[in-house]
Amino acid sequence: MFRQILYTQWKWSGLGIVAAALASFVLPILTVQGAGTSDPTWIDARALLPALEYWSRAYPALALAIGLLGGTMAWTNDHRGRHVYALTLPLPRWHYVLLRYGAGLALLLVPVLLLWAGAMLAGRMATIPPGLHAYPHALALRFGLAVLLAYSIFFAVSSGTTRTAGYVIGVVAGLMVLQVLILLSGSETRLVAPIFDRLVTLPGPFEIFGGRWMLIDV
Amino acid sequence: MSNAIETKNLHRRMGKTFEIRELSLSVPTGSIYGFLGPNGSGKTTTIRLMLGLLRHTGGSCMVLGRPIPGDAPRVLARTGYVPERPHLYTTFTIGEAMRYHAAFYATWDGRRAEELARRFGLDQTQRLSRLSKGETGKLMMLLALAQSPDLLVLDEPTDGLDPVVRREVLSALLDYVSQRDATVFISSHLVHELERICDWVGVMDYGRLVAEMPMQTFKNGIKRLRVTEAPSLVSDTPFVLLARETGDGLSGGEVWVVRGWQDPMKQYFEGVGARLREVVDLDLEEGFVELLRTFRAPGA
Repeated sequence: MFRQILYTQWKWSGLGIVAAALASFVLPILTVQGAGTSDPTWIDARALLPALEYWSRAYPALALAIGLLGGTMAWTNDHRGRHVYALTLPLPRWHYVLLRYGAGLALLLVPVLLLWAGAMLAGRMATIPPGLHAYPHALALRFGLAVLLAYSIFFAVSSGTTRTAGYVIGVVAGLMVLQVLILLSGSETRLVAPIFDRLVTLPGPFEIFGGRWMLIDV
Repeated sequence: MSNAIETKNLHRRMGKTFEIRELSLSVPTGSIYGFLGPNGSGKTTTIRLMLGLLRHTGGSCMVLGRPIPGDAPRVLARTGYVPERPHLYTTFTIGEAMRYHAAFYATWDGRRAEELARRFGLDQTQRLSRLSKGETGKLMMLLALAQSPDLLVLDEPTDGLDPVVRREVLSALLDYVSQRDATVFISSHLVHELERICDWVGVMDYGRLVAEMPMQTFKNGIKRLRVTEAPSLVSDTPFVLLARETGDGLSGGEVWVVRGWQDPMKQYFEGVGARLREVVDLDLEEGFVELLRTFRAPGA
């Protein structure tokens, strides 16, 4: 049963997963290349860290994108058939949801593992200045948790009806529009930024996406 | 006789204007039950309630001896369902659809599936998105039958199919039923099709069950009578008078459409001073139309 569900999910999102896996593998390598750590003459940690930090923004973005891909693709075909096929299968609804969730998670392990492999390879390729260290395991673990969180959220949102997804998108879009209107009126009131800060700083639920995603750090 | 499906006072409101009301129907085990009704009468909603796809807000529903929706997964494991609109994943090939479906049913009969695929001329490498309406209909019937179900619930399974494909699909269904003592619940508005295969019939209209009886009773009981010299007011008829109309110009008299007719009832006309000229059998479609006409008449 799980194998068949996994197969369907692979069929629907395989291309995206392969692309995400490649991006995940390449990103740490690009990080060290882009920061110039492969250059043996580069030893100034003070100059290296900002360059690495610049690249670190790409990790949470990639984790979000992978979560979005996995979460939405898990349900696309069921939505098309108005879930009739899924509902007529002889298993409780929670069981079917768990199978779909598990299958998506299993597929998303591929980019996470490849990021881990890429990070280890990049760590070895890099010339690390004294006082700095490579953290490929921590980075991969953080990336994995971020993917898990993003996937779970998008999976839950897209499992609902189009109306539910519409409400979620509507609230977010409404806040954005309100913020723009407030700024246009000349007021300094910040509406979105404090909410965003609350969400991405401890104890916010999306704290994992904020902060520094450093492959090489002190 | 036990019932494969039994609903009592089932109720469900759909939107603002339509509701299934006080629906009590009984489908005897082993029967082929034709579920008739015009488009929009509530046939599909009733089926969805019976399979637990929708939750009823009143009454009760038992299918294969188990309560719905509480025990829906167990019931669905023994039920082959062909929905009104194709529900399968169109990205699949036929072979993939068969393997996917098989994974969920312990009773899946792979040999029967292969046999039906050959019989229906289905190429297992063909993608579902490229199938014709007829091929999709055949595939859905194949999947339902290969599950080896005790109950088949078919929602307009031959709607839109050409007569050749329709015959192929129904013949496979009848072969299956003859091999296993399965119950078939088949909804359709193609009355002639049901007339050939069903032994029970239920008629829906406006979310209510208008009639439910053995097919033979339904067919034999509804007659068109040509009557002359009938009194303007009739009462205490031994049959149900569904309609009374002026006859055509040639023969004169009146045409009565009655339900529950039996030959000894001819004597009634002598008693009221009328003359019964002719008794005409109505086929299922005519009976169905007359039944709905009476049901929809003001004050019905």
